[in-house]
Amino acid sequence: MSTSRPRTLDPANLDPLVTYLAHALGAERVRVSSAELLSGGAVQENWSLYVEVVGGPRAGSARWVLRTDAAARLPVSLDRTGEFAVLQTANAAGVRIAEPILECADAAVIGAPFMLQAFLAGTAQARRLVRTPDLAAWGGDVAVELAHQLAKIHAIRPGLNSAERLSFLPQPLLPPARAEVARLRGMLDGAGEARPALEYALTWLDQNAPAPNPLCLVHGDYRTGNYMVADGQLSAILDWEFAHWGDPLEDIGWFCARCWRFGNDAMEAGGIARRDVFVDAYVHTSDLSVRPADIIYWEVMAAVKWAAIAVLQGDRYRKGGEDAIELVLTGLMPSEMELDALLLIEQLEGTQNG
Amino acid sequence: MTRNPQSRRISSETLIQLAVDTLRSDIRPAIPAEQRYTLAMVANALEIARRDMVTDGDSALWDLLDAVYPDGDGTAERLAHDIRHGHVHDGAPPDLRALLKAIVIGELRIRNPRFLKSREIGG
Repeated sequence: MSTSRPRTLDPANLDPLVTYLAHALGAERVRVSSAELLSGGAVQENWSLYVEVVGGPRAGSARWVLRTDAAARLPVSLDRTGEFAVLQTANAAGVRIAEPILECADAAVIGAPFMLQAFLAGTAQARRLVRTPDLAAWGGDVAVELAHQLAKIHAIRPGLNSAERLSFLPQPLLPPARAEVARLRGMLDGAGEARPALEYALTWLDQNAPAPNPLCLVHGDYRTGNYMVADGQLSAILDWEFAHWGDPLEDIGWFCARCWRFGNDAMEAGGIARRDVFVDAYVHTSDLSVRPADIIYWEVMAAVKWAAIAVLQGDRYRKGGEDAIELVLTGLMPSEMELDALLLIEQLEGTQNG
Repeated sequence: MTRNPQSRRISSETLIQLAVDTLRSDIRPAIPAEQRYTLAMVANALEIARRDMVTDGDSALWDLLDAVYPDGDGTAERLAHDIRHGHVHDGAPPDLRALLKAIVIGELRIRNPRFLKSREIGG
């Protein structure tokens, strides 16, 4: 069993890539002076490219990021073509992201489908962000900006002209919370480990769903670790492969969930700011009224979803996969999220009964 | 004087703990920074295995299975199925959530006692 993951792009043989880029960009020629694998990206690979384009609308020197589908993709994630359409839509809506440049669905070019985005400086490393000594100086401002950006994302709604590129995204047949429960149960059906506490939390979520909000684009992984901060400012929202139509509170609950505070538990908004700072900024920008209990409901959903993903990660080892030790350790994590889910349910029922 | 042939045997638990301590004190400073995450995972895996050897992590599960299935045929799979389909719920047994919580806490005593501490639950 190996702990190394097979790579797709071969930096020693970039000819197929530059030939493709020259054609796709309408350039006379393209030169890639360096290709370096970036850290991060459990699901996909990220490469930094220094590119020189001669001729065509993109002529000039630039630094881009090439993102591939990795060898093992989570079944719930969008492929690169789908994610690129989401990025184009978000870009047009003015959401702060790295500009999407092109996508290539042909796996033959570098060994996997890929897309290119502009490179932006900054760090997305969650543990580093929540532990920076100057967090108090920028955490609140970044949380407010994240709330404003989230409100822009949630203003993208099915049926609007601005969302025409997203017609491929399926609309849930049930209210989003119940649809999510059904989806998570489906994910667990093929799993190699039964989790009674997880099933209990799923049943509770199914029976206690709040009234749904208007359907909107949900980022699907809106949390610390998936945005970049440079010089105390939000520079870009990352990792859109889990985007879907859903309830806006899904993203808020995910952002505030304890499992995504990276140990900085007192800062309930992603480990970087107080919850009210984030939620108040969101409410101020969006047309949504938000009940605190509904956010906690979606935090239960977040814990359950992360637990289900961890069960599936463990399955990748049980059923024969790569990166064995990381997957096995992740496969042992569901009990953490199950405990958080049970504690939140106790909290909610205590509030209602008390 | 009676000699106990087992008295000087080094236990498997001790052996694993020594291996973990050596990894952290001797190996970690000597390897490149990009491999330290892998080493931390290895040490964590060994510690989980050590705790698993000396902790009865399944007793809470058996307690619940015995309460729900007095015929002795209970399994985690059956319990998960019956919770999903409403055959086992908060009313039967009445303390279902507390019993499930005890199972999860039992697992975390082995898998991640620090997590329990962060939730102010005794490890």
